[in-house]
Amino acid sequence: MQDRVAVATPLGVRLRALTLSYGGAALIREVDLDLAPGRITCLLGPSGIGKSTLLKAIAGLLTPDAGRIEGDDGRPLAGRVAWMGQDAGLLPWSDALGNVTLGSRLRGEPPDRERAQALLRLVGLAEAAAMLPAKLSGGMRQRVALARTLYEDKPVVLMDEPFAALDALTRHRLQAEAARLLAGRAVLLVTHDPAEALRLGHAVVVMRGAPAEFSQQLTPPGDPPRDPTEPAMAALQRRLLAELGAEVTA
Amino acid sequence: MPAAASFRYLLPVLVGLATLGGWEAVVRANEIPPYILPGPILIAETLVADWGTLWPSLLVTLEITALALLVATVGGVALALLFAQSRLVELTLFPYAVVLQVTPIVAIAPLILIYVDDTRAALLICAWIVAFFPILSNTTLGLVSTDRNLLDLFRLYGAGRFRTLAWLRFPAALPYFLGGLRIAGGLCLIGAVVAEFAAGTAGSGSGLAYRILEAGYRLNVPRMYAALVMIAGVGILIFLALTALNHLILRRWHESARGAE
Repeated sequence: MQDRVAVATPLGVRLRALTLSYGGAALIREVDLDLAPGRITCLLGPSGIGKSTLLKAIAGLLTPDAGRIEGDDGRPLAGRVAWMGQDAGLLPWSDALGNVTLGSRLRGEPPDRERAQALLRLVGLAEAAAMLPAKLSGGMRQRVALARTLYEDKPVVLMDEPFAALDALTRHRLQAEAARLLAGRAVLLVTHDPAEALRLGHAVVVMRGAPAEFSQQLTPPGDPPRDPTEPAMAALQRRLLAELGAEVTA
Repeated sequence: MPAAASFRYLLPVLVGLATLGGWEAVVRANEIPPYILPGPILIAETLVADWGTLWPSLLVTLEITALALLVATVGGVALALLFAQSRLVELTLFPYAVVLQVTPIVAIAPLILIYVDDTRAALLICAWIVAFFPILSNTTLGLVSTDRNLLDLFRLYGAGRFRTLAWLRFPAALPYFLGGLRIAGGLCLIGAVVAEFAAGTAGSGSGLAYRILEAGYRLNVPRMYAALVMIAGVGILIFLALTALNHLILRRWHESARGAE
């Protein structure tokens, strides 16, 4: 079963002339963005610029002021999106297995416990299936959240700074695992860390300005997970930092 | 630390024993007559001697208290659900819940006793009025403070209103509800006793409060104390039982109960 992780039909995402506002102020105005099917796109930008709002709009949790969000097959994304946030977002009264199968229960389907168990094994938590979140470390909780995201088996995955609250070592490990396990899905990963974007993104987009605009997609060479300390990556990282920094001084 | 744990029980018990000892000593040294201040030993003796009268009265008070707690729980939770579903309903009804809460029950009880023929029902209503508010306000607070991220996740994964309520908002509100229940347990007893006092003068009750009134008319002060001891004991038992329930339900996952382990 090991690699029944991949989805059947890859799907890309199209944002067209999208306008979003928050509390009356425009966050983005008439922007376009394409997420390639089966690729990880990292969206890099400073805090408060509207990355999370954009992610929520793509998830269908809030309605954009104008513009279109759709799959590259021209149909809406509803029901084809999985989510992973900075906070693991686990139900504290439900054990790890119950949290992984949450989506099934919410849709009124019988949970596929075998698959959930296998996913927990894939994220290194085979022994923790019956444990409650309170007994798990921050890294383990985030692994459960990753397993839950994979259990959803959706072609599009939205990730809102999923590794930001972890210690450096755990983050490094989990980034590599996530890159491997999410292969085949269109992933939009929001982060404020250039190193993380370069490590995980097939493409990196910088979001800056107010209302924010997207930079040209940067496509670092090689497949993720990459080593951000390599000289070539270090140069790209300097470039990204400069792009972010330019926004700060502007 | 076993030393600290034993102090936790030892110290209060020592203080209690010293107080009772001092009380008994003062009563004996000054030869205070029992109809003014009975000593603890006499009170204990009265408790045993009058058990045949007091025990049935205790059962009456307990029954009202338990019924009131049940009705307060059902009513409080049902109203909280209503409040959590619609902000409009909450805005409309909440002021009246507050009015019921802040008006002293001693002042309302005589009126209720006039309008409600059945004394038991009247007592129940009084106890309910005092007890439902903490359940209502705590449960409402719990229901509306559900984690936003989890609510978003539930929406994203297609959970309807009912499943969101049953699997997210309700369990998340459980610690709040149980906190309210603990307060309501004590209040139910207070409500029942106060209402009995109001009703008891008409000779229509036979709960512990009625026994206290009756003994008071006869200047049977030791029995007044004995009934008081029973009421206090019941209050402590209710508190302990609800605390245990709280711990039992929450100990596996909620911070408040986990810290004690």
